[in-house]
Amino acid sequence: MDLGLVIYALNLASIYALMAIWISILWSSVGMINMAHGATFATSGYAAWLISAALKPVIAATFGKGAIASAMMAGAVLGSAIVAGALCGAVIYALAFLPIHDKPNYSVRSLIITLALNIGVVQGLLWYFGPRNRGLPKVFGFGRWELWDTKIRYDQAGTILGAGLVMMLTLAWLRYSRRGLEVRAMMQNAEGAAYSGISRQATALPVLMLTGALAGVAAALLSQTIFVSPTAGVIPLVKGLTIALLGGLGSVAGAVAGAVLIGFLEAIVGAIPFLGQRYVMFATFSFIILVLIFRPRGIGGLLDNTRE
Amino acid sequence: MPELLQINKLSAGYGPLRVLHEIDLSVKEGERIGLVGLNGHGKTTLFRAITHMTGWQQGSIKLDGEEIGGSRSLGAGRRTAELVKKGIGVAPQGDAIFPGLSVRKHLECGAHTKSAWRNRRERIEEIFEVFPPLRNLQHSLVGKLSGGERRMVSVGRMLMSEARLYLIDEPSLGLAPKISQRVMEALWALPVSGAMIIAEQNISLLTGRADRILGMHAGRMRGDIGHVELN
Repeated sequence: MDLGLVIYALNLASIYALMAIWISILWSSVGMINMAHGATFATSGYAAWLISAALKPVIAATFGKGAIASAMMAGAVLGSAIVAGALCGAVIYALAFLPIHDKPNYSVRSLIITLALNIGVVQGLLWYFGPRNRGLPKVFGFGRWELWDTKIRYDQAGTILGAGLVMMLTLAWLRYSRRGLEVRAMMQNAEGAAYSGISRQATALPVLMLTGALAGVAAALLSQTIFVSPTAGVIPLVKGLTIALLGGLGSVAGAVAGAVLIGFLEAIVGAIPFLGQRYVMFATFSFIILVLIFRPRGIGGLLDNTRE
Repeated sequence: MPELLQINKLSAGYGPLRVLHEIDLSVKEGERIGLVGLNGHGKTTLFRAITHMTGWQQGSIKLDGEEIGGSRSLGAGRRTAELVKKGIGVAPQGDAIFPGLSVRKHLECGAHTKSAWRNRRERIEEIFEVFPPLRNLQHSLVGKLSGGERRMVSVGRMLMSEARLYLIDEPSLGLAPKISQRVMEALWALPVSGAMIIAEQNISLLTGRADRILGMHAGRMRGDIGHVELN
């Protein structure tokens, strides 16, 4: 296996892990499968595109064309995607969590509401912006490094490092902050959490906003390689959901392991000459189905043996 | 002594099932009450109704004069965290532990009030004084502890808050007699300023220690059944 393939696989894995981790955490703490994640992804992409287009002349006029201007641009793209994602999370909280979270069949209802939200938002984006793809400014600049005869593009390296950093930060937040402790408690036993004064209403808002913000980061990073479009969120949503299932819903370590497995599987299948890109989805889903037949709880059951 | 908890005509249940039938109960500040009854006669449901965990309920529950009851048919658990913050500490049946958290993190979870969180280190030390075995286990995952140790963690978590009313549901359930005796000894020795209600099937663990022992049968209170001499 050459290094280029590994880099490509890690690039896919880091984006998938960003999506899958929070789908998994959201399910086990708030009890919601958030189908509107794809809409959040697309909306954040458009927000980044709009804001960066609006700020481009301002930044060019103030800072010229140097490194500072590029850094400002990168900040504008990432910042607007994160803010837009977090706002989407707050909207999902208001529409798909608050009104129904103590009603019977809440999980199914919220699934349907978020699915409807997803379809509505995607159609709205399609109606307003049209189907044309939009390119985001390159956050990490153009160019490549040479490493042992392999060329690594800046955006690939940036995506892997950026996603890794964001994931470490969120995991550290979960591990060391008081709010993170509350989220973990709620993931493990909702009744015990309630008896410890941890309310689901109060915890769901930051969790949903963080999920949205991470979808925003994923959107800004993925749009370095693909384009922003109304349906850009569909594939990441489907991949994120299936990887969260593969990892075992509720297991963070399982989600990361699943993302790495799927990233490498896709990269390898895509590189095999007689299979190629058209068999990537087929291979991915066959693999996930196979794993779930033998481990219905996903691979997370292996890593996280302390869950009941 | 002023009334801390005043329950009037409380009925509660799950769906079409009515478990509690118009219960009246009042608890004074500083009282330690034993609640005795067989399995399925409503002890747990009474605790769950006080914290709004039942399917539906009606009737008045006053905590320190403030109405926390009322009628509702939906929203089980919606207000539980809020009521806990008003000063109700619960050690539920089955412990409701967080299996993937360490003993120490677990106890920190219980320190939900501002001042309890600020003083959590001192409070954890106090819990270790009450349950000495927990000190050596403080970094172990609770999911890997034995039943008795889990019970100590669950009661410890309840004690971390600065509650005024403690509800402890069957502390001896599933424990070996020697260990349940030890857990009960620790409970009676607790430096609790507010009131405490301990639900228990085994009356011998309550007798001689509780201020009052109340009976419960078929969802109704049987009044003070007094201390029973057991040989």
